[in-house]
Amino acid sequence: MDRRSYLKSVAGLAVAGTASFSVFKWFSIHRKVVPAEFSSKHELLAELAEMIIPQTDTPGAKAANVHEYIIAVMVDCTSVKEQNKFIDGIAELEEYAAREYGKEFLKCNPAERKAVLKQMAKNSSGYSYKILNKINNKIFGKPFFLKLRELTVEGYCQSRLGATQGLAYDYIPGTFEACIPIRPNQRSWATK
Amino acid sequence: MYISDKNKILHTYDAIVIGSGISGGWAAMELCKKGMKTLLLERGRDVKHLVDYPTANLNPWDFKAGMNNTIQDREANPVQSSAYSPADKHFYVSDAEHPYIQEKPFNWYRGYQVGGRSLTWGRQCYRLSDLDFEANHRDGTGVDWPIRYKDLEQWYSYAESFIGVSGNRENLGHLPDGEFLTPMELNCIEKHLGDSIRKNDEHRLLTIARVANLTRGWDNRGPCQNRNLCTRGCPFGGYFSSNSSTIPAAMATGNLTLRPFSIVTEILFDEQKQKARGVRVIDTLTSEVHEFYAKIVFVNASTIATAGLLLNSVSSRFPDGFGNGSGQIGHNLMDHHSSAGAYGVHDQFTDQYYKGRRPCGFLIPRYRNLHPGEKLNFKRGYNIQGHGERQEWMDKAQSIDGFGEDFKAGLTTPGPWTVWMAGWGECLPYFDNQVTPDPSKKDKWGQPLLKIDFTFRENEHKMMTDIEQTSARMLDQAGFKHIESFNYNKPGGSTIHEMGTARMGNDPKTSVLNKFNQMHEAKNVFITDGSCMTSSACQNPSLTYMALTARASQFAYEQLKKGEL
Repeated sequence: MDRRSYLKSVAGLAVAGTASFSVFKWFSIHRKVVPAEFSSKHELLAELAEMIIPQTDTPGAKAANVHEYIIAVMVDCTSVKEQNKFIDGIAELEEYAAREYGKEFLKCNPAERKAVLKQMAKNSSGYSYKILNKINNKIFGKPFFLKLRELTVEGYCQSRLGATQGLAYDYIPGTFEACIPIRPNQRSWATK
Repeated sequence: MYISDKNKILHTYDAIVIGSGISGGWAAMELCKKGMKTLLLERGRDVKHLVDYPTANLNPWDFKAGMNNTIQDREANPVQSSAYSPADKHFYVSDAEHPYIQEKPFNWYRGYQVGGRSLTWGRQCYRLSDLDFEANHRDGTGVDWPIRYKDLEQWYSYAESFIGVSGNRENLGHLPDGEFLTPMELNCIEKHLGDSIRKNDEHRLLTIARVANLTRGWDNRGPCQNRNLCTRGCPFGGYFSSNSSTIPAAMATGNLTLRPFSIVTEILFDEQKQKARGVRVIDTLTSEVHEFYAKIVFVNASTIATAGLLLNSVSSRFPDGFGNGSGQIGHNLMDHHSSAGAYGVHDQFTDQYYKGRRPCGFLIPRYRNLHPGEKLNFKRGYNIQGHGERQEWMDKAQSIDGFGEDFKAGLTTPGPWTVWMAGWGECLPYFDNQVTPDPSKKDKWGQPLLKIDFTFRENEHKMMTDIEQTSARMLDQAGFKHIESFNYNKPGGSTIHEMGTARMGNDPKTSVLNKFNQMHEAKNVFITDGSCMTSSACQNPSLTYMALTARASQFAYEQLKKGEL
């Protein structure tokens, strides 16, 4: 496909995508969110974050209080549209757990929980055209799983436990050593 | 306003400097060191070195929502919040409080405080050369610079020797070497790219950035601790700012009076003597209006604000703005473009890493249009600035899939080496890229809002295309994979190198300042911030402002002694 017809087809898909976007959905993603909607998901978010970055030989997301970071960013730093996208994602996850296993997500066993989160990840994989994902993310906000994982990563890597134990943290390096042999099991620097 | 004779004496100085940023700090220091009682006016609050860097020692986990600005903050400050984070927000103005009019999108980033943007600058220090000073003359663009490299050479050395610049000598005619401290070191991917560039093109080279970060203790400051948290203010004095360097030096002479919270609204003109007699100021705390008087006035408010101040200073002699007989004030606004470049990933050197956070990247000096015979479809040139690193968590979160133990292991170990690089390109002086006050809209102090009308033109866009192509090619030749060239198409102002609204030139009919940064039409007024630039070259401009300021200060002092001012 040459560039022009590729761009045309992408534009066409984008229009089709927006056209199917109902008035109901517009109201639904612009409804006002109250901070309590996030706070009530405290435990669920802690579990989800821990599934993304689990305790291993270093602390996991739960010990690093990543759920509190997620809630802080969601409440203070996120647009209404993205907040709703996120809340809807949580609802979708809970509905899926109820439908598949007949119980709340938090009551599912580890294997069931993993299957549910995998399904959410699959739903987030998006279009195969990069540009469509960009358009889609712009109109509807980032897919739930990707937003959850992004915030989990940010929250964990910038937390005290995550930075100092999960990663390598060097507050005042003093010197800069430009090229040094990597050590066995070298962790990434927490800051750059 | 009425001022009694006694108060008039109290309000009289030898010199007034408007603005305390990079160039204003230098003017204040130079004049104070020459024994002149100097009043340094700053519209924002005071920021004292060490004392007023509240975030300098905070860890990442001390920020509740990381580096994310709040939604309310982003809505109130759409421009500034695109540059700051919670870690350095306190060194930027509020858009809500300090509005301006964007005739076309233009990011006017500002820091209204003592030290101005010298607290948050990128610290890159490059000399201009005769390739730059002769450029307008050679291709008939704008007006000719009234100076050449030999006029500024010693002043570059003087400025570098005071601030401390780390860098490597490269012996290039078009990017002269300076007085350098030990350079910072390139890492292995940067060395690899540099080797490839040298092998493939004899006219190009890759060197470490020349920065005002100290690789050893200097003038009771530093050395740099390689934290790379410079924009929070450095508790080690590891980099040059007015706050850590020029203002304390000025203060130490006993000749400096620093007055923060002082918006200069007008330069006052003495019709009989045909020169400036002082300035009018609004105190932002009390809203009181004061006048201050001096034998000479240095204007260092920063390019756009300087243009606004001059255009707002009208009198019967200057109905179109102070010293604006040429009609050039506010025109010829320039900003470098830095939107276009390329990115690539390299699969070798995985056994190599680094320690510490070097506060700068690399530089590939200008390699386009160095010789008159070159047949390119654009004038002038660009340099490439970039850095090499291994992918860390911020990058890997985007590039690895899944969740759980494997995801965590991938996230917390160093990824492949990458290089990001982009062109910092020259912007030509276009008469209709301009700043004008709009008297129909006022800020909370009753000052007309400034209207900025700026776009990059065909020459800049063609240059950006060339940058994309040559950057991607250099990465390709060095064996990089997944190369993506890009053009972010950032609006003007984004490089924060505003220049040119009160240009230097030989002819008072077509320029505002003479070769000593002295106003053609008011001999005791000197302008040495970015507004004086006749062309933009492609080098980061701050070092040139410092050299020009030191030179103009010396000239002003000598003229004053001779009774010429």
